[in-house]
Amino acid sequence: MLGVDLMIAGRNLARHTRRNLFLGGALAAVTALLVLLGALTAGMESAMMQSATTLMTGHVNVGGFFKITSGSAAPLVSQYPRVLEAVRAKVPELDYATVRGRGWAKAVSEHVSMDLVLAGVDVAHEPTFRKVLHVVDGDLEALAQPGTVLLFEGQAERLKLKVNDVLTLSAPTARGVNNTADVRVAAIARNVGLLSAFSAFIQADTLRELYGLSPATTGAIHLYLRDPRDAARVAARLRTALAEAGYRVMEPEAQPYWMKLMQTVPSEDWTGQKLDVTTADDEMGQFKQFILALRVVTGLLVVILMVVVVIGILNTLAIAIRERTREIGALRAIGMQRRKVLWLFVLETALLGLLGTAAGVAVALAVAGAVNAAGIALPEAVQVFLAQERLRFLLDPGAIAADALVLAAIAVAASVFPARRAARLKPVTAMHHVG
Amino acid sequence: MSIVSVEHVSKDYMLGKTVVPALRDVSLAVGKGEFLSIAGPSGSGKTTLLNLVGCVDTPSAGRVIVAGQDTARLSERALTELRLRTIGFIFQSFNLVSVLSVFQNVEFPLLLQGGQTRKERAERVLALLDAVGIAEHARHRPSELSGGQRQRVAIARALVTRPALVLADEPTANLDSETGGNIIDLMKEMNRRDGTTFIFSTHDPKVMAHASALVRIEDGRISSREDLDAARRAGGR
Repeated sequence: MLGVDLMIAGRNLARHTRRNLFLGGALAAVTALLVLLGALTAGMESAMMQSATTLMTGHVNVGGFFKITSGSAAPLVSQYPRVLEAVRAKVPELDYATVRGRGWAKAVSEHVSMDLVLAGVDVAHEPTFRKVLHVVDGDLEALAQPGTVLLFEGQAERLKLKVNDVLTLSAPTARGVNNTADVRVAAIARNVGLLSAFSAFIQADTLRELYGLSPATTGAIHLYLRDPRDAARVAARLRTALAEAGYRVMEPEAQPYWMKLMQTVPSEDWTGQKLDVTTADDEMGQFKQFILALRVVTGLLVVILMVVVVIGILNTLAIAIRERTREIGALRAIGMQRRKVLWLFVLETALLGLLGTAAGVAVALAVAGAVNAAGIALPEAVQVFLAQERLRFLLDPGAIAADALVLAAIAVAASVFPARRAARLKPVTAMHHVG
Repeated sequence: MSIVSVEHVSKDYMLGKTVVPALRDVSLAVGKGEFLSIAGPSGSGKTTLLNLVGCVDTPSAGRVIVAGQDTARLSERALTELRLRTIGFIFQSFNLVSVLSVFQNVEFPLLLQGGQTRKERAERVLALLDAVGIAEHARHRPSELSGGQRQRVAIARALVTRPALVLADEPTANLDSETGGNIIDLMKEMNRRDGTTFIFSTHDPKVMAHASALVRIEDGRISSREDLDAARRAGGR
């Protein structure tokens, strides 16, 4: 019977080709839009999180601020080996930890200058660093030597520098004086979106020298867990454990450290060292908000378009029911139950919904595939927002299937009301309908 | 024994705020195997009476008993089931499902009934299509057939469930006289062959002449009932 039902539904759809093509096309367009926007957002999020959790943040970070006066602040963790020891003891989920210097400096070349957020790295103890960075010129191993820096392509281009060229860094120390250091470009890496717009990596000891810091001082300890989903739980445990160990620990706040450094911490009335335990989500909070905002806008757009599609479905079914009222009456007369009439109309819409969404998914896959294959380079300003150098759609089969099914389900749900109306027609009224 | 019993049935329709009586205190018994014609001018109440007997409408007063069941006591679902298993319908304008082939249209009531294998259905459908002389058009859509051919399909559809009762509302009204005559002959043959009770409405004297009994209806009332077979037998004596 299902075969015959499908045949009736399919042939009824085919009978009004233009009307149903228009409606199916609208549904396909909404599906394609939803899938593409979802894939774009996922691409941005993936690119950002993939690079950020190696380059900018661990799954959990133990950072902190040192304040000589209440109005000043430096992103420092003093006596970090002791902190690291305490952390290791409390985090059995730990895969590995890295130590990163934090700072910012004005980078001055012979031609131009720019501000850079600096991360002090010890490449010998950075197991995943080389997996994320794609060095296009120079040698990443050379970044182990004192007085070296790694720039991204965009920065090197802007500063007009090549590998082995020298760059002067000028940075304010915690004591309020400016230090300078000449550093050699050890490697140039391919841009990784937002991060490469303002971040550069410098040999860890060189950063300490620039800021006049002791070898036991660093910017943050990045913790990489075997399962990143444990991050929030581990961070909460560490706050308690470090406080119990006698450290002053800041209250959790979902902001990246540089925002705290510029806004919150200098306005707080305390001096000395405080530790700040954050998660990758905290550090990437603004980016997450941007993604969330994008998803909200996408959702609103899709809702508006779906309202149009739902109105279209209601209208189309109303016309179909009017056209087929006599047929419904005859079928009811020969013994078709009401629920069967309802089923036939719902099935018709379900078929249209599935075909429409399938076509939309196919279009989205084709567009995404073509764009990914073409490797369309984004303008620098757009790179900052999209967190990627090239336009890239990340196609997640599960998410695509969910999008398509939700839209098809909405279409089916929209058909229930008119289908119920058709099913409730009295056979005698329907049979003698004139229309 | 009656397959249909209509007892003091009235049916009123509302036309705005005006009550329009379509049937007034009608009583009628139809025996098994009868080939009964309901005759009368347009608006006399023929279709209303057939709708009540066919359980697609409910009376304002009185009782309609079909195959021993008081239709007033049945739920909507049970009435639909009664129509599916006991009654076959032939409509004036055929009312075939336009997107199904001739074969599928005839097979459709069997699918609604369920319980038969594909082979059983196919055998029964093909036998009926052959009996109504339309087997060669089994794969055609209704739109590819003439009016007479469509009505043959409708007859096959009405008979495929082997109903005890077939109702036909002006089955020849949309056909030319020759085709109409053929359709009535076909119905009569099915009546003779299977003993199926037929009740059909018409206002065409040539068509009503084929009936075994004739009920005349005027202004919502039965004005006469004639046993035409008995008259024929008496005339032949």
